[in-house]
Amino acid sequence: MSSASLAQASGRYLFTGYDPGPFYDEMVGPNGEPRPWAAAMFEKLAAMPLEVFEERRKLADLSYLVQGITFTVYSDGRGTERLFPFDLVPRIIPRSEWDVIERGLAQRVKALNLYLQDVYGSQRILKDRIIPRSLVYSCKHFRREMAGLRVPRDIYVHIAGIDLVRDSATGQYLVLEDNARSPSGISYVLENRLVMRRTFPRAFETCEVLPVDHYPAALVQILRSLSPRAGDRQVVVLLTPGLYNSAYFEHSFLAQEMGIELVEGRDLVVVDDVVYMKTIHGLTRVDVIYRRIDDDFLDPLAFRSDSLVGVPGLMNAYRAGNIALANAVGTGVSDDKAIYAYVPEFIRYYLGEEPVLRNVETWLCSNPAHLSYVLDRLPELVVKAVGESGGYGMLIGPSASRQEIEAFRDRLKADPRNYIAQPVIPLSRCPSFDTASGCMSPRHVDLRPYCLYDGDNVTIVPGGLTRVALKRGSLVVNSSQGGGSKDTWVLRGDE
Amino acid sequence: MLSRIADSLFWIGRYMERADNTARILDVNYHMLLEQPPDTYKLRWDPLIAITGERTRFHERYEEANAQTAFEFLGFSEENPNSISQCIVSARENARTIRDRISRELWEDINGLYHKLSKMRSEDESLTRFCDAVKRGGHRFHGVCDATLTRDEGWHFLQTGMALERAEMTARILDVHFHRLLEGPQILNQARSHAWVAVLKSVAAYEFYKRQYTQIEPMRVSELLLLDARHPRSVRFNLGALQNSLHAVSGSIPGTYANEAERLTGRVFERLTYDNIEEIFNSGLHNFLTELQSTCRNIGEQITRTYFYYAVVA
Repeated sequence: MSSASLAQASGRYLFTGYDPGPFYDEMVGPNGEPRPWAAAMFEKLAAMPLEVFEERRKLADLSYLVQGITFTVYSDGRGTERLFPFDLVPRIIPRSEWDVIERGLAQRVKALNLYLQDVYGSQRILKDRIIPRSLVYSCKHFRREMAGLRVPRDIYVHIAGIDLVRDSATGQYLVLEDNARSPSGISYVLENRLVMRRTFPRAFETCEVLPVDHYPAALVQILRSLSPRAGDRQVVVLLTPGLYNSAYFEHSFLAQEMGIELVEGRDLVVVDDVVYMKTIHGLTRVDVIYRRIDDDFLDPLAFRSDSLVGVPGLMNAYRAGNIALANAVGTGVSDDKAIYAYVPEFIRYYLGEEPVLRNVETWLCSNPAHLSYVLDRLPELVVKAVGESGGYGMLIGPSASRQEIEAFRDRLKADPRNYIAQPVIPLSRCPSFDTASGCMSPRHVDLRPYCLYDGDNVTIVPGGLTRVALKRGSLVVNSSQGGGSKDTWVLRGDE
Repeated sequence: MLSRIADSLFWIGRYMERADNTARILDVNYHMLLEQPPDTYKLRWDPLIAITGERTRFHERYEEANAQTAFEFLGFSEENPNSISQCIVSARENARTIRDRISRELWEDINGLYHKLSKMRSEDESLTRFCDAVKRGGHRFHGVCDATLTRDEGWHFLQTGMALERAEMTARILDVHFHRLLEGPQILNQARSHAWVAVLKSVAAYEFYKRQYTQIEPMRVSELLLLDARHPRSVRFNLGALQNSLHAVSGSIPGTYANEAERLTGRVFERLTYDNIEEIFNSGLHNFLTELQSTCRNIGEQITRTYFYYAVVA
């Protein structure tokens, strides 16, 4: 008798009655047997009495609470701190699968960079009519100010978070969206791994999991290389909007891990197009800013004048070549959801290669034919606003009410450029602990790997953030919508 | 070091010290009153509110100062920015803002204390246990700082905040008690010495006092709290610590000063070193203490102006 079936006999184990159902399950195959690469961990979990698992789960939660890894919810008017739910069952990826993902992402990030360089430079791609000029210029995040401005080492996207999903229908990974402005979540990848190592130390002895903790070192090396001043005493800082930003923990965590200063807009001042920070002994020159503030709020003199978190004069210093910014200003013209549809074309155009990872089929509502197709099929489709992120401005047709659908129909007609539509992808699922029933239940997951680009090579820490929709049946994985996260294991081999 | 970070460290020091001091006076007063006739309640709890400088705010909200209202107001009221829980909230907020600059241990310690007190409050814990947790928290805080923080400029700003807060608080405790015990209505002799014992206990100096002096005398209590060179809660001790930290940051040599904060600190430290308690009493203790408190406030402002918020000339 295998340990799993033993566990089932006693009735007090985690996988009792587990049914992977009609979706692709990341851990359990359709026959109910664990997938070969996940078998070791599955057996371990299956043999674990519920009480032991519960105890470890509490320990893990406590460790997040003690460290203050919380996000703030303002719905009750007071600002309540919540834990970002963490699920102890890892998502396991065999090496051969990861190699494909890695190749696909590297290719995509390079293409995005070439596209940005081109759009803000000679605009070959527009002249060759690969993508309509009007579509590019109408992007909410297109920055006219960047035209003709040379950025350090021609890198625009130093950090990209590219969201992948696995389509249950084909078992293939698809790119769901690109995040080329300031993707967040990497701190959860690193902390989740830390907690997993503490919670299941023995599992790491048997499963050969590739490490992720080199991320901060790799990032800071890229940041240093951007400095306009030569030498090795460059000052690199991380610019945060401040404590009340929901990603503040991450900003602080990364600054500490990289050994750089965490600054707010009010710590910086621009004098004669040079950026300084205010220290107790006067002003210190700053060379590189890893900014976690949107373009709009970066410099009240250049962009939104009501920004209180930005640095007046920063764009002038940038233009003068006295400061490097990561990511560059204006990268939003590459991760707009309508532009997304053209990324496979970018790959062919700039690299002369076929895309390794496919896009989700996408209808652009700016195209009249696509629009009428979409309007006819709203209840079956997912509709997204092009410039939004975080699961906002979205309609999920199959689970929306009639009123919601009709409201979206009006919005689509009023501003078609602002929307795209995609089929509902049957996302793969992964066993996750269901607190209500006290056992494992399949839940939908996505995957956000973090890519670092140094101008030549793309470095990707193996795995990334697996987000999980903890609500039964839900397809939305965002933390603001009841999502949680899992540790993602890329194995050294395939078993 | 960024000015904003130095500012946060300074305030973490102040808030943690303020929470600790408030818990001490609250706890000691409560225990002292357990043995007193209940009709002296008003008399006994009012000064406590006065020490924290929140008299107006208190009387806007409560009719009478008694063990319950004082505990609520000083212990965990959200409407009192200087209540113990609010001090911890502020210290935690500051620590969270600069958590990349302090040790993980220190952040987890302050965060842990915050969660512990929130839990105690929701479980309606007694005053004694609440204060006990705060005091233990204070000791742990000092221990964790000592054991895990680098002795850099940040360390000195933390020390500056703690020393300044402690010096000011000790001066205020002495001032308020003097008012009530000497100039207030007649109190039995026995009750009076009882009250001085409470004062000493609130600054953890009772055992030390007994070893130094034979009887409880207001002048000797004042001497210890103001001028003693060895007790870690005396005003002189703390102003000395303040002076050391200020000089460590600016690099100016002893006997000189690089800024107004150092000049004021040096001047008052000299007085506390070379004046004796008889002289201070002869020229009026209350005046002396008033001036001392205003100097402490001044030093705080000057530190802020020199290091945290200075004008940048473009």
